[in-house]
Amino acid sequence: MTASRRGDADPVIRVRELRKTYGALVAVDGVSFEVRPGEVFGLLGPNGAGKTTTVEVLEGLRQPDSGEVTVLGIDAIRHADDLRARIGVSLQTAALYPKLTVAEVLDLFRAFYGHGRATSELIELMDLGEKRATRTQDLSGGQRQRLSVALALVNDPELVFLDEPTTGMDPAARRALWDVVLGLKAEGRSVLLTTHYMEEAEVLCDRIAIMDHGHILESGTVEELVSRRFHERAVRFDAVEGLTDERMAAIPGVTSVKHEDGVVMLYTRDVPATIGAVLASTDELGHEPANLAVRRATLEDVFLDLTGRALRD
Amino acid sequence: MNALLLLTVANIRSFIRDRAALFWTLAFPLIFVFLFGAIFSGGSTARTMGFGDLDGSDSSGRLREAFAALPNLELVEGSEAELTERMRDGELSAVIIVPAGYAETVAAGGAPAQVTVYTDPSQSAADGATRQIVGFVLAQVNQAASGRPPAVAPSFQSVQTNDLNFISYLVPSILGMSLMQLGVFAAIPLVADREKLILKRLHATPLRRWQLVGSNVLMRLLIAIVQTIIIVGVGSAVFGVQVAGNWLLIGLLVLLGSLAFIALGYVIASFATSEESANGMTSVVQFPLMFLSGTFFPIDGMPDALQTVARAMPLTYLGDALRQVMVDGTPFSPLWVCFAVLAAWLVVCFGVAARFFRWQ
Repeated sequence: MTASRRGDADPVIRVRELRKTYGALVAVDGVSFEVRPGEVFGLLGPNGAGKTTTVEVLEGLRQPDSGEVTVLGIDAIRHADDLRARIGVSLQTAALYPKLTVAEVLDLFRAFYGHGRATSELIELMDLGEKRATRTQDLSGGQRQRLSVALALVNDPELVFLDEPTTGMDPAARRALWDVVLGLKAEGRSVLLTTHYMEEAEVLCDRIAIMDHGHILESGTVEELVSRRFHERAVRFDAVEGLTDERMAAIPGVTSVKHEDGVVMLYTRDVPATIGAVLASTDELGHEPANLAVRRATLEDVFLDLTGRALRD
Repeated sequence: MNALLLLTVANIRSFIRDRAALFWTLAFPLIFVFLFGAIFSGGSTARTMGFGDLDGSDSSGRLREAFAALPNLELVEGSEAELTERMRDGELSAVIIVPAGYAETVAAGGAPAQVTVYTDPSQSAADGATRQIVGFVLAQVNQAASGRPPAVAPSFQSVQTNDLNFISYLVPSILGMSLMQLGVFAAIPLVADREKLILKRLHATPLRRWQLVGSNVLMRLLIAIVQTIIIVGVGSAVFGVQVAGNWLLIGLLVLLGSLAFIALGYVIASFATSEESANGMTSVVQFPLMFLSGTFFPIDGMPDALQTVARAMPLTYLGDALRQVMVDGTPFSPLWVCFAVLAAWLVVCFGVAARFFRWQ
């Protein structure tokens, strides 16, 4: 990686009070965060949360209404042209020249930068070898996504933006892409990725910012996010008729009761006592709790606690 | 520079792999050339007239022979009713009826003998020709009857002016029309790329917008040159159109004309919100240009109001200039005026497109 004049402690991305509206819609409403060199930073949130708008401002593709954005020490709002050669970008929905082959598109994009990684190397990295001579219009959704990521790496960038990189991929391709992202990190590159997959964020991201309705609700490492909210563990089971929230909340050790898609979640400091009380209560009602399980709180719980709804699309 | 050239190559590759685009730009103008060429050079100028001899005498027979001796005239015989019916059906351009008693009237030498000639005055050219032919034949007969040698005898030479001129007129016109179409459709791929977010993706690279537009324009100019070679080549090889002009001047006109219409295409694309609306708007612009710019017939034959419209059309000046330079066509405007008008369209359209084209 090119060692710049910036000190190691300087963030590769610094966003301050970013705001962007489209008419009456406030897409991004006062967002601030920093990404440190060499880390994988995740913007996590449902569709429409403002993730893509935020990322496109950082890439120099959109002018915000207000706020400050510094990327690799460059003002991304006023001097975006100076930035483009040093970043790699994979957009969420962009099509590519439909009549050109995979290899031709990679060659073409490298020409835009005047330097970069060899086409064969990128094709191997993204496992597109069999599709080398295939026109992009004939690729599957997942293959197109892989080509999009390959194009983001064509200029050997120090900072890579990946907007929903695994959408449309099957589980095997998704895991392969995760390896590529972890490989970028191992090479010392910084990555900003958006996703609405909890598991993806947990596996890949050093730090996460949870976004909803244009706001960052909370940010930190997965550990921080979970332990900040949940000292307790979750006891979950399928909802039982007649077992009221009041009754469950009264169980010793239980701090909160949540519902999600017909599943009850009891957050508790005393797991054995809670399970005992649940079994006693349901037995009294003539039922047995189905799919009873205990788990540690996850990002999913954090999101549910922050927004009152599950992050599923 | 390298990026500009490689993007141009990529554009050309995409173009060649798009069969429909290839057909409309290269084959479609040729279809026009062949179609109009076949219509206007294949037909003969021979006319068919009906001749009804109700007298059946030697005199009327000599009259028939005088008509039959004319070049390019075919005589069909029959009754008056039958022949006039066939004329109404369009098979005959005129009908001549020699009444019964014709020989006696001629022999008596008193009042002139009458022959009836049916013509269709609404077909002014055919009507005039029939009158000339009949007048010429009857003058011969009258003079023979008078027994004196003719004082003046015409000598007929056949010159097929109309046919050759029309193809010579058509080839530069169709070239102009093709360059116009190539130009006005130029920005549609850009609108499509904008819609498919390809432009956004390109904007995230160091590629500059002038390189993007430049590669698109370069590709169009290359296609314009190919079109010119194909259309002029077929025009001269198949239809014998002699291209007499200065090739440098032709090249300059092709480039200036293409650029002016490409700029017009960018103006259209500047106000289109989607690929579909760009296509629709382009069609709305191209049809009046095609039919009101003297592409298929000279504009001095059009009504005054339409002539005024034609004078405002850039294609009028490109077609006019191409005809002047390529086949020595009759100038409608001086050549420098054509160049000036095209240059003005280029500058104005470029300005409007630069101001209003949206990249996102």
